[in-house]
Amino acid sequence: MIAPFELPFMARALAEIALLAVICGPVSVFVYARRLAFVSDAMTHTVFPGVVIGFVAGGLEGLVVGALVAGLLTAVVLTLLTRGGRVSDDAATAVVLTAMFSIGVVLVSRRTSYTSDLTAFLFGRLLTVTADQLVETAVLAGVVLVALLIGARALLFRTFDPAGAAAAGFRVGWLDLWLNVLVALVVVASVRAVGTILVVALLIVPAAAARMVTDRLAVMAVVGTVLIIGAGYAGLLVSWTASLHYGVALTSASSVVLLLVAAYLLLIPVRLLRARRQRRVPSARRSSVHELVG
Amino acid sequence: MTGPALRYDGVSVGYQGTAVLTHVDLDVRAGQRLALVGPNGAGKSTLIKSVLGLVPVLAGQASVLGADPSAARGQAGYVPQTDTLDADFPVSVRQVVMMGRYRRIGWWRPARAADRRAVAEALDRVGLADRAGHRFGTLSGGQRQRVLLARAIASEPRLLLLDEPFNGVDAVSQDEIVRVLRELSAGGAALVISTHDLGVARDLADVVCLLNGRQWAVGAPSEVLTAEKLRMTYGGHVVDVADGQMMLVEP
Repeated sequence: MIAPFELPFMARALAEIALLAVICGPVSVFVYARRLAFVSDAMTHTVFPGVVIGFVAGGLEGLVVGALVAGLLTAVVLTLLTRGGRVSDDAATAVVLTAMFSIGVVLVSRRTSYTSDLTAFLFGRLLTVTADQLVETAVLAGVVLVALLIGARALLFRTFDPAGAAAAGFRVGWLDLWLNVLVALVVVASVRAVGTILVVALLIVPAAAARMVTDRLAVMAVVGTVLIIGAGYAGLLVSWTASLHYGVALTSASSVVLLLVAAYLLLIPVRLLRARRQRRVPSARRSSVHELVG
Repeated sequence: MTGPALRYDGVSVGYQGTAVLTHVDLDVRAGQRLALVGPNGAGKSTLIKSVLGLVPVLAGQASVLGADPSAARGQAGYVPQTDTLDADFPVSVRQVVMMGRYRRIGWWRPARAADRRAVAEALDRVGLADRAGHRFGTLSGGQRQRVLLARAIASEPRLLLLDEPFNGVDAVSQDEIVRVLRELSAGGAALVISTHDLGVARDLADVVCLLNGRQWAVGAPSEVLTAEKLRMTYGGHVVDVADGQMMLVEP
């Protein structure tokens, strides 16, 4: 069970997942509570053309820079679009999402190595993570965690009661930008390892699964983090075993995500049991697995 | 405190240059309880949001705690309607009340003993000390409204604005809220309470302001809650009942 991780590339892959888990767990709690599943999904798609442009211009190193520029730009645009809770949020977000994704596909299709490049951008290359890339992820993770810790209280207030937070003197527009930038940074940090499509799973499933077992936000963040690390370990092991012993080529990132979704499904009965014990509460719209579809 | 907690002179408020409410003249002093009375859509919530600096003043002079409303942001306490909040939100009663302390605590610092004490006292004051650890959404509508009142109390405001605090609230919670509001104003806080319940306005308020698109009357409850003035405000949907009691009816 441990032997495969003695190989450097497997160890690095697990370390990368663990670093991502530390930021995805807490950030996913806010994505869940703010019901930003669709916005996060849009973010992962709009980062795609940035990834492609960055890769074409500067290779693997340029990829993160391109993603960063596209991610921050999207964070600003989406904050402006969703300002004041306008009803056309979804439509506007969808337009940005599809337009940017199409631009990315057009860009990547001009390359000769079209298929392999596209696959790498969409699904990541978890097993080829280098030591330098690990350092990059760690730096981004540090930035995200510090920014989240500073803003946690204000973000919680704004998430629970936007009018109350505004009345208390918090600038809701800036807080929204703050969270959108954090989501963008998480997407950028994760994109090389798990690809633009699967990042959204790390941003939505952990908190949704953790919500099944707890009513406390801090516990949700911890449970979400542990779930990603667990799914990361098991997913890498499964894809390793499948390809080595059974000759089945299983993308490691998708194994990780599938196990995460499996954890979510397995925890549904826990939620039902807890709901039966608690007094029944009207449950409003909740993030669902449907929102995972990119 | 010197000067009024809230003073409006010929104020119009609204969104994007379009006035929702006009001709508002108010003067609320420390310890006073003002009731904003009017039908749904009269502009009661808009007026409250203008005091909080969330809706712009389009015309007239507005002063909140001696300053421009936008400058006074964060100084006044605000109690929203509980049904505007997500009952499924994973947050405890204690956490909700602690939100009232966030501005004092600041961004970095953990909550101090004084903050925790203020939260405990505020919960005790609204009679929910034993529910601190419960999830907010598991409480009844009336209890949730009391938690939001406790949150405002924890922020120790000199001016407190309540948006329809008695909507969908059971009798026990209503009595509890009325008792706490009286205590708060006795302690020197100025209160602004929006309601469409004429009985509550009469019993609780020192000053009543009738609104419907504009201010129709303001003054002591006995002067303002008259059949004639209510009919003017509500557009003829008021019926006199015995003993000077008023009833609003559909046309």
